[in-house]
Amino acid sequence: MVLVFALLIILPFFHVYQTYVAAHAYDLLAPGERKLYDIIETLTAPFVDDPSRDLDVIKGNTWSGRLFGVKMSDPLAVAGQMAAGRNVYNPFLLTALFPVVATLIFGRFFCGWLCPANFLYELNTNLRILLGRFGVRTGRRCLDPKLKYIVLGVGLLICGISGSVLVAAVYPPAILGRELYYAIAQRGMGVGALFFVATVLFDLLVARRGFCRYLCPGGALYSLLGRFRVLRIQRNVVTCNDCTKCNSVCEFGLNPLRDDFGQECNNCTACIAVCPVDALGFRWRITDTPNQGPGHESPRYRRDHKDKRQVFGNANSKA
Amino acid sequence: MTAMAPATSMVVQARTKRNGQRYLRPPGALPESEFVSRCIHCGQCGEVCPNRCINYFGFENGLTSLDTPYITPREKACILCMKCGEVCPSGAIQPVRRTIPAITEGVRMGRAQVDKQLCLSYQGKTCGVCYRACPLPDLALRVGMLEQPEVLDACVGCGLCERSCIQMPQAIRIIPAHTQTGEVL
Repeated sequence: MVLVFALLIILPFFHVYQTYVAAHAYDLLAPGERKLYDIIETLTAPFVDDPSRDLDVIKGNTWSGRLFGVKMSDPLAVAGQMAAGRNVYNPFLLTALFPVVATLIFGRFFCGWLCPANFLYELNTNLRILLGRFGVRTGRRCLDPKLKYIVLGVGLLICGISGSVLVAAVYPPAILGRELYYAIAQRGMGVGALFFVATVLFDLLVARRGFCRYLCPGGALYSLLGRFRVLRIQRNVVTCNDCTKCNSVCEFGLNPLRDDFGQECNNCTACIAVCPVDALGFRWRITDTPNQGPGHESPRYRRDHKDKRQVFGNANSKA
Repeated sequence: MTAMAPATSMVVQARTKRNGQRYLRPPGALPESEFVSRCIHCGQCGEVCPNRCINYFGFENGLTSLDTPYITPREKACILCMKCGEVCPSGAIQPVRRTIPAITEGVRMGRAQVDKQLCLSYQGKTCGVCYRACPLPDLALRVGMLEQPEVLDACVGCGLCERSCIQMPQAIRIIPAHTQTGEVL
């Protein structure tokens, strides 16, 4: 995530530098500059001989980009384009193949692992905690997570009516990739930056991680695709002690404590990391386990099953 | 906010039709309406452009053109390197090989038009700068007596002649393919 964000900043600089080198001619560069260019060239395009394509191997952003010559696009870009053009362009469809297959296996992993906007939104959550320490009240409203499917539907509908992929204008990772590029290599940030600031304020003042949870059209599409994901986080009820840390750490407001992950879970592993008794972990399964009840190490479970549990002996002092 | 968008787009479009900004799409771009529906606003064409001539629209050309690429030839013209078509994921800019037949066949950004009232050569002062700048000399642009330029049918509208014209305002302009009319905007 941080890496993706860093790439989004570095790549436009590469672009500017590349055109600078092209304009001044490689042979006329000072020795130090030539060394810098050689280093960049070796790092990004070790197998490219053609000097006019030296730094072209990694380009673009998470919305659509090229990674070592393989073009990849966000599934939402393909969906939006299909809605706007009312046709299917097969080469473009293929660019979304890898992300779609990965989502079918790993679920909404893009949101938790790659989305550059998520990086900033998580920093925003930290800011919210910091503000809370100083007694500043932040928004804690809860909306319906199904709202984002409506946003997705309406977004695609607007794409169809206007004949332009306008959904790109309300999708934070696409905005971020574009606006960072505009800011570094073009004439400065555009309207998208304002929209992004608005989403950050929405998260801060209305609902925690509100945009991702309730409004993001891309997140909605990933959720639908990842509904029957194969890799899931599951709770081991035997070691769980109902400490509720997993629920409070979950950025997406899910309920790992009661085995309720659903299609929204993006396998970000925050709950696994926070669990003090290692009760959460990945399993290869297509469905969540139905609610397994209170964890066997919880005070409540111990009270109810006092007579049956003699293994740990001294139950009274622990309860 | 999203529900307002179609209405807003009509308002914005009406306003920009009056403004009438003259712009070119990148080389190999599909016809305008098809291009707008294909373009996914990813910005890779600009990022790969070695000449950095590709800019991006804000709201000034209507909501549907938001974040789509354009070229203003007088500021910086296309050098027909054809890298943008190669990088475009959605085929809004079609890939075209960098050979003369492929370019004259596949690229239709616009067509140059000479304003004889402004052109130095037509006013008796031999100039010929546009001819020297043309990437397809004698195919797209021919010069006659006193290096008076004459635009031919193979002109793809890259804009290098307009960029290089030493007159102020420029005596040769690209009429974008999507405006269709012969009027100089």
